[in-house]
Amino acid sequence: MLLSRPWHSTCPTMPIRTTNKNDQPRRVLARVAPEDFVGRADALQQLSALSTVGANRRGVLLLAAPTVGATELLRQAYDAMFHQRGGASPVYFAFSRSDHTTTGAARRFLHTFLWHVVAHRRADATLIDAPPALHDLLELAAPSDYEWIERLIQSYERARGGSDERGFVRLCLSAPQHAATRGSHTVVMLDDVHLATQLKGEVALGEEVAQAFTDSDEAFVLSGLRRSLLGVLQGASEVSRLNGTRKIHLERLDDAEARTLLERVARNQQVVLTDESRDLLVQQLEGNPFFITTLVQAAQNDGGSLASYLDCQRLYVDELLGGRINRRFKAVLEEIAPAAAARRTLLRLLRESESNPAGKSPAEAWRKRLELDAESLARVMAGLHVHELGTFDTTYVEVGANLVWRDYLHASYRLQVSADPRALVVADTLVEALKRAPQTMERHYRRASALQLRQLLGRFDSQRVPASLLHHDRFARMYKGVGADEVLIGLDTETDLIRLPQIVHAASCAAFHPPMQLICDEERCAVAHGFDAASYSDTSEVVWLAAELESKLEVGRALTEVWCDRLAQLAHSCGFTRTRLLLVSTEGFSAEACELLNEREAFSASHQQLELLTARVSPALSAQRLGAGRDEFEMVIPMGDDTELIAAHTVEQIARRLDFQPEAINQIKTALVEACINAAEHSLSPDRKIYQRFRVESDKLVVTVSSRGVAVSASASQNGEAIPEPGQGSQANGSAKGRRGWGLKLIRTLMDEVEFERVDDGTRLRMTKYLRK
Amino acid sequence: MREETLATRAQPEDARGVAIVYAENYLNKLSGERIERECRNGLEDGCHALVINFKQTTIVNSIGVSILLGVIDAVERRGARLVFANVNHHTIKLFDLLGLSRHVALAENVEAAFAILEDFDAAPTPHGH
Repeated sequence: MLLSRPWHSTCPTMPIRTTNKNDQPRRVLARVAPEDFVGRADALQQLSALSTVGANRRGVLLLAAPTVGATELLRQAYDAMFHQRGGASPVYFAFSRSDHTTTGAARRFLHTFLWHVVAHRRADATLIDAPPALHDLLELAAPSDYEWIERLIQSYERARGGSDERGFVRLCLSAPQHAATRGSHTVVMLDDVHLATQLKGEVALGEEVAQAFTDSDEAFVLSGLRRSLLGVLQGASEVSRLNGTRKIHLERLDDAEARTLLERVARNQQVVLTDESRDLLVQQLEGNPFFITTLVQAAQNDGGSLASYLDCQRLYVDELLGGRINRRFKAVLEEIAPAAAARRTLLRLLRESESNPAGKSPAEAWRKRLELDAESLARVMAGLHVHELGTFDTTYVEVGANLVWRDYLHASYRLQVSADPRALVVADTLVEALKRAPQTMERHYRRASALQLRQLLGRFDSQRVPASLLHHDRFARMYKGVGADEVLIGLDTETDLIRLPQIVHAASCAAFHPPMQLICDEERCAVAHGFDAASYSDTSEVVWLAAELESKLEVGRALTEVWCDRLAQLAHSCGFTRTRLLLVSTEGFSAEACELLNEREAFSASHQQLELLTARVSPALSAQRLGAGRDEFEMVIPMGDDTELIAAHTVEQIARRLDFQPEAINQIKTALVEACINAAEHSLSPDRKIYQRFRVESDKLVVTVSSRGVAVSASASQNGEAIPEPGQGSQANGSAKGRRGWGLKLIRTLMDEVEFERVDDGTRLRMTKYLRK
Repeated sequence: MREETLATRAQPEDARGVAIVYAENYLNKLSGERIERECRNGLEDGCHALVINFKQTTIVNSIGVSILLGVIDAVERRGARLVFANVNHHTIKLFDLLGLSRHVALAENVEAAFAILEDFDAAPTPHGH
């Protein structure tokens, strides 16, 4: 069949089919559409750039946390490279346990390599759907590739029957070099490289892979679980071949990306999702793309709703106890402890460690309970470690902190070890998950509102700051009731300055002293090691202990004393000899409390002081903290009834705050009115609402107007349409309709920047007006 | 907004045969159509000139402007005169932008509008008009 489409039957320079009917690039290996692939933009761009021949085409190590979507990232990169004509040919290969042996994996690699190169050189994405046999590939190859492919296949045929396993593996892995010497450049992406150690054979496949690719000048990507990839590739070698390779770390999605992913998957699966459920799932599933997509798919199978916390937790519990999430953890545990009895003991040990107040248990107890020799125990521990289900050193084992894993552990322990009735486990898990949901969100809100003490301390960097910023009594005396601009001027003229230490390590108090997490949120207490003089010496070594106290009013002496003692106790228990305390509260401290703080030589600050301090030592951190939402206003208006006037009055008030000139304010108002009219007239909006966001920045006002429904594109006929002279409209159309459609032209004239943003449904128009004083 | 700005018409026996039409605070589709209707009525009642007073108008949208273009057309076809009075600075700029100012006289106030109309009446009618 495949022989019926040899190379010469097609034009060698033109793509056969890389687009679909809508002229969208056809998906080749990617499992989701590019527009639905959320986050990872930087990583994708870096990987895709590897196909540019002649550019700096180095190797990349993709170190991924478990189930964070490394495979889909590579597949997206493959597609991007495939459609980028004239670049190197992308090759994607994933190691698999089903290869069983190193030679099996090497053989499949060679086949995949030739298959992907031929498909790319023919620009034939359809070839990827059905892999041709090795000899058929020769028929499909480009004339310029024929010779090296034929030679490679001949060498392969000769070597595969032999007994030289290493030689055979090296021959297969050298395929990219063979291709390159004949001018066929490639980007080989090897996925799941950590599995290379699980294949039988005499050859250390990971090391062979590292050698084959680092010796070559071709670009490559080696991807695997972050806790094992380097070990697999380096083996016992002390000198790393991988020093020159770039490392990309792939972590969980951040909250914003996870929210977007949830929304997109829910929309595609037609699952009802509320904002509240979305935010809960982002926190509960810790931004893990696998868990997120799995849960939404489960919702789709179940009837399509994640509208309430109850919907979410029901599905979550189903997934934990019998769905894909369950199967995923089960498979990992089976890999770590293949024997059922050992697995039950493992579950018991994990559960006991997790419930231990210290959160860990002695490794020796594990060895005895599991009845394993040292080597087997090390294998179990390595398995837990690699999959991030636990960490261990020679003394202690600690269970991984991932919330979903811990929930699975609880439920599986009860089912498999305690043999509790399934209905009871389901009910208890569901009830507990529901009770935990508000707490999860509360923790998230508190974390988001914390002052980021740790980050602030980390940026001190020996800078000098006005002393009043670290003494609340002084600050209150000098600046209470003074306007923000005057405070800044005052601070600039202060001559009494404090030199901050250079902080070399900062962590939460709980990281040093776990009981602290019972007293305050992790983010609200920090320990920072540093030096307060130029030299790194015993005398200049100092530890700052900082805590954020919760109080709506000025903190009094009693609470201040409690916290001073608490931090002193922490310093004592950790053996810190030279310390400085910093206490922070929203409104600062009472006069009596300040007296105590001065006696203890402790620093003190209100939130206002801390914001000013942050702005001085780290403008970036300050912008990050202040930026989110503080200068952003949102409004939703119904369409019709001149509601655009309400929007116009609102934007007028906002623009005035920014000191826009009256003429500019009028221009903004008119542009906004036009945008609202456009939305109302053209969108066929199902909810008949116009969503507006006004973002104030230092030098501009950004207004975003969006509506659901039919998209109004920038290239629509109304855009830039010539304005007719009087007479033209009536003569041509007999009505005023012929004169309509100037809205967008007007907006473009009145505003400095106008851009349609890509949205899945409807239209979003972003308009920017710069401040010119 | 609207209640205080209902359009009023001068009668054709008015010595000057001029109707003054008052625009509302927001010149949009509805208020534009009101102006259009009042202007049409004025012309039908025999007025040879119209003054649209924009004193109350603070904000204008493109639909309202497009309707004014229709009014200009209608007035021209009747051979009548049209002056916009009391147009604020921002609206003038908008009219400039949309090409309206080229086809209609703008007056600082109603008195100035009448003065313009008198100048029109005094000037010889060009060919074709």
